[in-house]
Amino acid sequence: MLSRIAESLFWVGRYLERAEDTARILDVQIHQLLEDAASDEAVASRALLSVMGIPETGGAALELGRVTALLAFDTSQPSSIVSSIVGARESARGIRETISSELWECLNATYVALDQRVATARAIGPHAFFRFAKFVKERVAIAAGIADATMSRDDGWRFLVLGRSLERVDMTARLLGVRLSLPESMSDWVTTLRCCSAHEAYLRTYHGTVDAARSTEFLLLDRLFPRSAYFALATAESCLSELDPDRGRLGPEDEARRVLGRARAALEYRRIGELLDGLPTRLTSLQRSCSEASSAVAARYFHREPDLEWRAEIAPDRADLAPAAAAGRAR
Amino acid sequence: MPKHALGTHGPVEDLFEGYATGPWWDEMLEAPSAPRKVSLGLHETLRALSATDLEERCAERDRSFRDRGITFSLSGEERPFPLDPVPRLVSAAEWEVIETGVAQRVRALEMFLSDVYGRGEIFADRIVPRRLVATSRHFHRAAAGVEPPNGVRIHVSGIDLVRDASGEFRVLEDNLRIPSGVSYVVENRRTMARVFPELFVSHRVRPVADYASHLLAALQAASPRGARGDPTVVVLTPGVHNAAYFEHSFLARQMGVELVEGRDLVCRHNTLYMRTTSGEERVDVVYRRIDDDFLDPLHFRPDSLLGCAGLLNAARAGNVTIANAVGNGVADDKLAYTYVPDLVGYYLGERPILPNVPTYRLEEPEQLEHVLERIGELVLKPVDASGGYGLFIGPQASDEETAAISVAIRASPRSWVAQEVVLLSTVPTKVGSHLEPRHVDLRPFAINDGERVWVLPGGLTRVALPRGSLVVNSSQGGGSKDTWVLAGDEHTSAAREGDDAERTAAAALAEIPAYGSGPDLGPATGGAEQQQQQQQQGPGPPCSAG
Amino acid sequence: MSWRIATRHISTYRYSSPVSASYNEARMTPVASHRQAVLESHVSVRPVAPALRYVDYWSTTVHAFDIHEPHDDLVVTASSVVETTPAEPLDRDVTWAALGDPAVRDRYVELLEPTAYAPLEPELAELSRAVAAHEAPADAVDALCAWIRSAMRYEPGTTQVSTSALEAWRQGGGVCQDFAHVALVLLRNLGIPARYTSGYLHPMADAPVGETVNGASHAWVEVFLGAWQPVDPTNGDPVGERHVTVARGRDYADVSPLHGLYHGGTLESLEVTVELTRLA
Repeated sequence: MLSRIAESLFWVGRYLERAEDTARILDVQIHQLLEDAASDEAVASRALLSVMGIPETGGAALELGRVTALLAFDTSQPSSIVSSIVGARESARGIRETISSELWECLNATYVALDQRVATARAIGPHAFFRFAKFVKERVAIAAGIADATMSRDDGWRFLVLGRSLERVDMTARLLGVRLSLPESMSDWVTTLRCCSAHEAYLRTYHGTVDAARSTEFLLLDRLFPRSAYFALATAESCLSELDPDRGRLGPEDEARRVLGRARAALEYRRIGELLDGLPTRLTSLQRSCSEASSAVAARYFHREPDLEWRAEIAPDRADLAPAAAAGRAR
Repeated sequence: MPKHALGTHGPVEDLFEGYATGPWWDEMLEAPSAPRKVSLGLHETLRALSATDLEERCAERDRSFRDRGITFSLSGEERPFPLDPVPRLVSAAEWEVIETGVAQRVRALEMFLSDVYGRGEIFADRIVPRRLVATSRHFHRAAAGVEPPNGVRIHVSGIDLVRDASGEFRVLEDNLRIPSGVSYVVENRRTMARVFPELFVSHRVRPVADYASHLLAALQAASPRGARGDPTVVVLTPGVHNAAYFEHSFLARQMGVELVEGRDLVCRHNTLYMRTTSGEERVDVVYRRIDDDFLDPLHFRPDSLLGCAGLLNAARAGNVTIANAVGNGVADDKLAYTYVPDLVGYYLGERPILPNVPTYRLEEPEQLEHVLERIGELVLKPVDASGGYGLFIGPQASDEETAAISVAIRASPRSWVAQEVVLLSTVPTKVGSHLEPRHVDLRPFAINDGERVWVLPGGLTRVALPRGSLVVNSSQGGGSKDTWVLAGDEHTSAAREGDDAERTAAAALAEIPAYGSGPDLGPATGGAEQQQQQQQQGPGPPCSAG
Repeated sequence: MSWRIATRHISTYRYSSPVSASYNEARMTPVASHRQAVLESHVSVRPVAPALRYVDYWSTTVHAFDIHEPHDDLVVTASSVVETTPAEPLDRDVTWAALGDPAVRDRYVELLEPTAYAPLEPELAELSRAVAAHEAPADAVDALCAWIRSAMRYEPGTTQVSTSALEAWRQGGGVCQDFAHVALVLLRNLGIPARYTSGYLHPMADAPVGETVNGASHAWVEVFLGAWQPVDPTNGDPVGERHVTVARGRDYADVSPLHGLYHGGTLESLEVTVELTRLA
């Protein structure tokens, strides 16, 4: 398939996941702040911004409305929900002929409805954000469902799922990052699990109280829960191996696979106690692995040419015309 | 307003109330309340509709277009394509004239282009002056010697027709470069079938949905390796910022081929490849939707970011086919148009089936004087421009405009032609809550596969929306109509057989790292500009007034 | 007596950093005509690249090649052996009426129209009429060429490859390319079809056989006087054994010896040598 199309599908996957996960995180955090009077709005806001990689601009007081505006609606923030949806739709627009009409229509209709949704959410304030978040989560779910039901399981599908999985690992790491950066008093693990839609699955698995060790274990290592880091890493790996099945006897030659495999092994074979020690470093390294894998995939498959800028080859200069013509004239 | 029950005499609120006929040809009504034979059924159905009902169906239509992203860009803004709910009907007999006339014209123009870029016999025989070609901006000397493998240069054409007051179809303009609008023909039909299913029950309308399969077959037949080698066809688009991007992606999807941009392609030693995830893959046929000027920076504009360096020489070497061929514009400017009847006689020994609109060449001094005397009655068109731009309509012009145009055509007579005003035919069109006559033209699309010229039974009917306007153009406030070519007896039986065959066949087939920056969305602003600049031969095509 | 001349035209492009891709067309192959036989011709490129050889609209042989390996320099070498014939006198019988025939004017319309290098310029147009309008066409050609040599100085380095006839004329000098372009303006204005001609000029009238000399590219014009005939407005010599014809067109743009595009790298220097050897 065309490299450009593969790249676009990869990014449709990433953007949709990013939109959904950001909506989840904001939804739950706002909810928690509203419920728990003891929470410090400024602290929570700062934690959210830092983990989403948005530099905190000094000056204006940090309050949730402003953070929501930045993370959800700000079109100048490349990672905001709105930017992610626009990005997914723009990426899809350039490859409309390769994705199914239904998937395109779904992304396009989401985009078309966005302005109205944003206007309503902004007008009513943070409380109305829940409805906006629900809209985003549902639309992304519909898109995922349509993709699942209408796309051939060819390389295009693999790039879409690969993008989604890498983004999911990254976002799960960021989410745990939020949890770690908040003071113990302010955040309970229930909130964190709910950000990943993992609370109910966790309860069914562990039948009991929510604690730090088990929650971390569940979000990073669970083999069956689709939003766990392990699950997403394994999915990404399997996409990569289907894109380039092993040929030699020395194991995978693909750089992205190596990076992800190492990241997965680093989680998989660690004892639970060890997992919590040095968690911040481990999360950073997990995110770095995602970023490296993403670059390796781009280098291997996307063949992005540097922007072509042609120069005109100048014709032979006419200084060399002088001798002959001069000689002619001299006679 | 309350909704009225349907009665045998039609509802009280008649959509046709106040509908005026005039000195022009109305496609539906001979006189108020006197429908033409072809339109009896349609007229009856429309009269039975209430305004509210029509309104609801139009809302459904708009939703359908918007959600499916069937839009065109106007000054950078995406708008749903304007489709009027009332179709335009063409009888089987009328269509036969159009079909044979268009095919005849395309055959003559093919021979002309082959002659122009070959031996130039028509110049030696002094039928057409060499000057016509030599002074054309679209005559590309670099295309001389590029032989299309199956002899076809005009793989796709759009021949713009108008219908005069006597009911005769006339050719207004030929589009032989990158005529656009066919995707709207197909999508309009699809939408109409959902919004007005009952009309399709009462009419036998010839289908337009198989356009893409005809196109693909013609493109494969044009491959240097022949159609049998399973040639790789691609559609080359300027990119998402181009006004016709929807159509490019539509055609690629319908044909099941890759939609590529210039940056997906690379020429290596006179062979064209596309960059894929598994390396470079050879391309045999490029259906390009990029102007000649931007196609190959080696031969044309060196600053083009949209094309692919070396493409023209790859075609010259016989390794790839460019469709439509480079340099076709020499045969479709408005001055060349005036010679087409002569071309039909010279190359085919036939009389033109579809006449031109009477047109004057201003380079001939007597004609120039004649035109200057009658300038208030004529339409003046720039030879090169399209999209209805630069048009001068004598009867509607102010004194200053008239004075200015007189100076302009004296200064540069090669740049203009003058045409008699044609009072375009009208079709009932939804205006507010009822129907009014609006002027229309028709662009049928023809595909040449080297064996025969096939004309899509249908076409883009464009509507001049302002009352009395003769300029039908979506960039100038125009709309469109679904065009229904009604099946004659031979088509019904033939079509039924075809359907059966298809059905049988179908049955048988059973630190925190930063965020990534997103995909490369193409060249930045400069690129977007070039994408927008690409010549659009419709769907806001050259003006049809006159 | 005819001459046999061996030509070797070497262009060396050096880039400050490697060029990653380049597409070029070389117009460096002498043209066969009734006054010039081409015995051998060869164009080679380094880095090595296969070339597509074709004949363009103006009957010039073109070598089109593209290079995709990174390279710091590009060397194009064109070699040939041609046999040239002595100059023929201009046809003095052709009349203005014959040139004014609509069929002739239409046949050569492209070579009568102004171009970017040879634009229509009222001042020059008037001069052309003052100098030569009352003479027969062949005499007008002679008179115009003589007038150009009296009005313009031969001054290398004062004009560029992009200089138009108008600019060169206003500054009163230039090189052979400029002389040829001015001649095209004047001749076309009088209604004489005229084409730009590029090639090589052997510098010595009595060149010894077997001796290789440094020559150069040269430009002159051909006029239509019932048949195409060459004249050299730069030095006034008859165009004969010493002139090797390579390409013809409306102006320099149609005959540029190397035309192309590249990306990555910037051009640092260009060195061109032309070696001419009279073989017989």
